[in-house]
Amino acid sequence: MRVALLLLVAASVAHPHADARLKPSRDDVANDTITSIPGIRVGHYTLTERPTGCTVILVDGGAVAGVAQRGAAPGTRETDLLHLANAAARIDGVVLSGGSAFGLDAANGAERWLDERGVGSKTSVSHVPIVPSAVLIDLWVGGKPHIRPGAECGRRAAAGATRQPVAQGTIGAGAGATVGKLLGRDHAMKGGIGSAGVVLPGGLRVAAIVAVNPLGDVIDPKNGAVLAGARAGDGSFADARRLLRSGAATVLSSLPADNTTIAVVATNARLTGAEATRLADMADAGYARAIAPVHTLADGDTVFALATGSWQGAHGAVDVTAIGALAADVVAEAIVRAIREATGVAGVPAARDLPQ
Amino acid sequence: MKRTAISFACVAAAIAAAAAQSPSRASFGLTAVDGIRVGHHTLAERPTGCTVILVDGDAAGGVSQRGGAPGTRETDLLNPLNMVDKVNAVVLSGGSAFGLEAATGTVRWLEEHNIGWPAGPAKVPIVPAAILFDLGVGGNPKVRPGADCGYKAAEAANAGAVQEGTVGAGAGATVGKLAGPNRSTKSGLGTASISLPNGLVVAALVAVNAVGDIIDPSNGKVVAGVRNPDGTFADARKILRAGGTLQRPRAGENTTIGLVATNARLTKALATRMALMADDGFARAISPSHTNGDGDTIFSLATGRWDGNADITTIGALAAEAMADAVVRAATQATSVAGIPAARDLKK
Repeated sequence: MRVALLLLVAASVAHPHADARLKPSRDDVANDTITSIPGIRVGHYTLTERPTGCTVILVDGGAVAGVAQRGAAPGTRETDLLHLANAAARIDGVVLSGGSAFGLDAANGAERWLDERGVGSKTSVSHVPIVPSAVLIDLWVGGKPHIRPGAECGRRAAAGATRQPVAQGTIGAGAGATVGKLLGRDHAMKGGIGSAGVVLPGGLRVAAIVAVNPLGDVIDPKNGAVLAGARAGDGSFADARRLLRSGAATVLSSLPADNTTIAVVATNARLTGAEATRLADMADAGYARAIAPVHTLADGDTVFALATGSWQGAHGAVDVTAIGALAADVVAEAIVRAIREATGVAGVPAARDLPQ
Repeated sequence: MKRTAISFACVAAAIAAAAAQSPSRASFGLTAVDGIRVGHHTLAERPTGCTVILVDGDAAGGVSQRGGAPGTRETDLLNPLNMVDKVNAVVLSGGSAFGLEAATGTVRWLEEHNIGWPAGPAKVPIVPAAILFDLGVGGNPKVRPGADCGYKAAEAANAGAVQEGTVGAGAGATVGKLAGPNRSTKSGLGTASISLPNGLVVAALVAVNAVGDIIDPSNGKVVAGVRNPDGTFADARKILRAGGTLQRPRAGENTTIGLVATNARLTKALATRMALMADDGFARAISPSHTNGDGDTIFSLATGRWDGNADITTIGALAAEAMADAVVRAATQATSVAGIPAARDLKK
């Protein structure tokens, strides 16, 4: 019900910049999120007891995958499996979750749901679903830190996964997400989850979904302006970049560890494992462009990259530089959307709640 | 033997003189960091060269290597799991993998000055290096920075203001190559620093030779990049979004290499985090960055000359800011060479 409501909200909010730049073909007009990639389905589940939840990204038929793990305080599972030196496997889904390390349990629920449907890598005795996951810390939002997404969350999110345009804002893994914590929690603003995608005339698709919960501010890379971030006493943006340059950000000795931005980028191109790893690494540039500061000691920033392989290019030639550059673009755009779509919760205001 | 003794005395005198000249330390740029000296050597035969960053004594060091086509040396030594935790100099050089030889000259210069990691019978100079590819610029690709370049750049190193633009490792650097070398713009070497009231200094130096365009992160505009016939910039981001045909960057024909330094005291692991965060400056000021055709590499140095309190998040965030500033300066300070126009020579 809540998902449907938010969907309506998301659909009714205009993205004039995105529409002008993406120029989607006619059948994609309704969907410029990650579910526009054939084979990708997304489901959110949001807990009612506290603003937190999880988001499951399923890949019908599996995908080649890579990961870029550059924040200093990560919470992840199955990232070693994605290492190039290890056995190449197709992954069946990714779980993004709130709840800090406790939230890694959500992936168990998604895994069980896939197992019940016979999905997974074939072994001699059974199918084994491969479900990497990353978490963000939102335990302080809304009190009751013992409320965290568990296996049931992952199971329900997987069961609810659809090809509909992804609901964005204060939902799923982004339900408890916050940004701009350089001056402490009291000055923070609401983050959330966002998704964006691009379709090229030749049929290449690249899209991202990001749960945005950084220590830093969110910046619009198109003009360098702060969209959401640490608020000064008068409610205006303090601008983390200016704070740091002035030497005034003395609170950093007691940094809140309530951070981490986690994402999935996906393409319909056919990539090798090494190329998928390069894709994740290039996509991470979207974090740097839309978040400042980022990749700090108090952020566990992680990006998963998926290549479904249904599109092989006009001459079988796929250029990971173009795909990676577009991935960085859509990651930055998804971060901006997460902020624009977020709604205030538990006393933490969203960008839309501030006076214009 | 006598010669060694004499050169020793000369060196001691030179070091004493340098110490006495501390007021000549630059107020802006990499040499604003206490303990850091910079020297360039630019070849006369072709626009290429090398840049040596010397540490007075030594510094903790780290590296972030994220481009897909690197050319480096001593980066495994910088792994925090490995033992040696001091660096004596870093060499940035043109000339592709051939240019790694420049570091050999710097090692020789350091050994002559008795500087290095004490290893039994000898002091072994620790000199990580990274190179960029500029062999296609300005004629004979057989002309490359060698050991002589690294020696002369070390000899020239000083704590004064760092010369920027078409010089040293940036002499043959170009940017905006997504539509091929004929539409590229001349770039070069840039530096920037941030000094806080409490005494913390964080600075960057970079030789910018990227596949991508240079973007000013403060307003999102292209500073230098793929050129249209009329001298305006095409904007690589728009070309990519439109699915336009582009030349696939060739491995090893680009690469942005840089260094960040601070006067703070950092462990080897934290110096590594500083390099990693500085890399965000590449992402903000270069688009696209970290491609398969770029060997993007950033070294970090912490001289520990300042005893104040600063956390790694502040230092790393400032390193990213300084690095983005330095990248933009590399593009704005460059001068045209070998028929490749610099941004300052294009009509606005």
